[in-house]
Amino acid sequence: MPTYMRSRLANGINLFIHPTVKFKTILVQLIFHRSLREDDVTESSLLPSVLQRGSGNYPNRMAIAHRLEELYGTELITGVTKKGERQMVTFTLDLVHDQYLPGESSLLKKALEVLKDVVTNPVLVGESFKEDYVAQEKEQHEKLIKGLINDKIAYSVERCLQHMCKDEPFGVFKYGSVERLKAIDGPTLYSYYRHFLKASPADLHISGDLDTASVLSLVQQIFGFERGEEENVAATTVKREIGDVRYVREELDVSQGKLVLGYRTGVTYADDDYFPLLVYNGILGSFPHSKLFQNVREKASLAYYAYSRLEKHKGLMLISSGIEVDNYERALEIINQQLSDMTRGDFTKEDLENTRSGLRNQFLMEEDNQGSVINRVLDDMLAGREENTAELLKRLAAVTSDDVARISANVCLDTVYFLTKRGGAK
Amino acid sequence: MLRLLENQLLKEKVYMSQIAPGLEVFVLPKKGYVKKYVTYAANFGSIDSRFIVEGEDKELSVPDGVAHFLEHKLFEDEDGNVFDRFARLGASSNAFTNFNNTAYLFSCTDYFTECLELLLDFVQTPYFTAESVEKEKGIIEQEIRMYEDNPQWRIFFNLLAAMYKEHPVRVDIAGTVESIRQIDKDVLYKCYRTFYHPSNMALFVVGDVDPGRVLEQVEANISKRNYKELGEIKRIYPSEPTELGQDFVRQELVVSQPLLNLGFKERDLGYQGERLFKKELATNLVLDVVFGSSSKLYNELYEEGLIDDEFDAGYVAEQDYGHTIIGGETVDPDRLSERLAEGIKEAKKNGISEAQFEHYRRKAMGEFLKSFNSLEFIANNFLAYHFRQINFFTYLDVLQSVSLDDVNSRLHQHLVEDYMVSSLILPKKG
Repeated sequence: MPTYMRSRLANGINLFIHPTVKFKTILVQLIFHRSLREDDVTESSLLPSVLQRGSGNYPNRMAIAHRLEELYGTELITGVTKKGERQMVTFTLDLVHDQYLPGESSLLKKALEVLKDVVTNPVLVGESFKEDYVAQEKEQHEKLIKGLINDKIAYSVERCLQHMCKDEPFGVFKYGSVERLKAIDGPTLYSYYRHFLKASPADLHISGDLDTASVLSLVQQIFGFERGEEENVAATTVKREIGDVRYVREELDVSQGKLVLGYRTGVTYADDDYFPLLVYNGILGSFPHSKLFQNVREKASLAYYAYSRLEKHKGLMLISSGIEVDNYERALEIINQQLSDMTRGDFTKEDLENTRSGLRNQFLMEEDNQGSVINRVLDDMLAGREENTAELLKRLAAVTSDDVARISANVCLDTVYFLTKRGGAK
Repeated sequence: MLRLLENQLLKEKVYMSQIAPGLEVFVLPKKGYVKKYVTYAANFGSIDSRFIVEGEDKELSVPDGVAHFLEHKLFEDEDGNVFDRFARLGASSNAFTNFNNTAYLFSCTDYFTECLELLLDFVQTPYFTAESVEKEKGIIEQEIRMYEDNPQWRIFFNLLAAMYKEHPVRVDIAGTVESIRQIDKDVLYKCYRTFYHPSNMALFVVGDVDPGRVLEQVEANISKRNYKELGEIKRIYPSEPTELGQDFVRQELVVSQPLLNLGFKERDLGYQGERLFKKELATNLVLDVVFGSSSKLYNELYEEGLIDDEFDAGYVAEQDYGHTIIGGETVDPDRLSERLAEGIKEAKKNGISEAQFEHYRRKAMGEFLKSFNSLEFIANNFLAYHFRQINFFTYLDVLQSVSLDDVNSRLHQHLVEDYMVSSLILPKKG
């Protein structure tokens, strides 16, 4: 059961301490929240890489890496993720709990000090980041943006979403754009950074075998830096009305076609209908026993993978499958058939119960992973949900076949995206 | 007989027992975890493509991709699909095949006993029909096609195909679209009978479970099947010459920038157990010192824009083959290749210092401890090492036994240009 202690530092950072004796590690996540928008997504996603180039106490990348290695291979990982129309910039520390290290006693403190230095004490030249650091990281960032195409599965999903949500903030790529990147330099990024650090709502999660009182005082001491007034993060808009289905076809010199279908559900994790939708998605396509796997793969032998998944904060569902390009029509027909079977309530009691048990299993297993526990808390905060696992499981247990059939009326096809061979089938 | 192995530093215990006719069973209790994870693996992988079937005297050579194909097909039996039965128990099941082993696994929270029974039952009940084998070909063909578009996968297999002249590690695990078309139910049964005998398999259970009860259950399941003792499995691996097949290979794919992998072929081969483990750990320390993210070389290359933070170096140690692979995406593969060669030369000239050695050993120790959070990591590694006659629990002890001389001599012996392959993926034009 996720039980944690929550408090607010004087500078507005929300502190969450998750005491648990299960793990050998302490996991720390410092998360900055931004509205997802074209205006600054390039800056916010570039920022962590520039900060990792050097800080006051560790003037370059090599010095930071060396210090982390010294701390028994502590990892400092940065990343950007989007949940709905919210961009989250995360700094993660993953370190061994020092009870496993004879002779070591303050590893968490040492690791937090590195994190703090990297986040709040960058290498500066006047009122600017070091130009060569910024220039090099811009180059790396450009490669990252362009590199999306190297993973054809991720590429096809992202392209479908970009088409589907092209007039909504959700269609913004989490790494921003090459165009906007060009305009960034040392001084502009530094001025953005100062604003980012002061005004972004921020959470600090610490999970491990910890004494909450001493962690609280440690954090107050290390992360007590001054901040300003926080900006609001705009709420995610959930679009319900849909026009004609959009068909998008893209050609590349590939061996396998990728079919991605984007749906709007109008239901998010904040709604009580989320649970029927979760079960709907499970029966349709998130397990090997689901309709998509059974029909597209097992019966028709058309694909190796065929699944559906939800974007729980934006109210979307995606279906993704890799197929022979000539089988486009057949695959699409089989997928559409599964959706209309769902609408007609054409699924068995067993489909429902298997899905329910599978989902229950997933909820329970989240508690065996520190990252998943933190992620659940994040989702709950975003959705304004204040329920523990037992309460979520009760909601799951209450879902009936009728609920699932009812919710299927919400699931509307918006965009069909097909990545095909050059000159390949339509 | 239950044997107990305890690791003081890890604060973990593993219970081990051999069940007649020869199945090795391991149980690692993880207090407080709700998840249970079990893997049941056969010492049979993609490289086991030539062997002599028990009771026959003629060598059998099977089409590429059979081990992987067999893995897919075990999930189906007379009553249908095994996934469904795990689903009824709220569990999720899966499997994977690599060069050396095939592993079947599940994770669950409830109904552990039922899930374990199901795993043992389905892996021990082959059921192949001509029709179901044909049907699977379409699915695996799409799996192969998916990997054909995956640049990381392609650069890796292209490299192995160039590095090795004879050894079957040079062949894709899943085979090719052509080779899997030759697979039929008879060859699957032959492979099954040869390699899926309990004495060629092992089981690993991890989670909050009672080791005694697990052992009892496994014993009851195995003993009712009246297995005969297994004779020797004669695996035939062609003798692999020391020299490379080719020293250069390239392919064009739709990618945003080139990829470069450099591979170094192992020449110090032929053993298993602790000696093999020690060689592996020593080599990984070398790679960390020379190419790791705090190395001078890595940081120079990064600043020159020749690598990104995905740049990586890793070593694989098996009895009959071994290799290091270094690389990642780059704007200029020629220049990167040159710079890496210079870096290796310089590392050899300077040697590895005591301070560097201790620094990376400490890092390796921390990384090992951290990884014991993951039930999957523990079980999968324990079995993979077990099949190489290595007890994974000895990691920290073996790491301590590695000396500075060991790493310096590995640096000089292993990273040798004459045994280096370059594998390249270039962006397709147009």
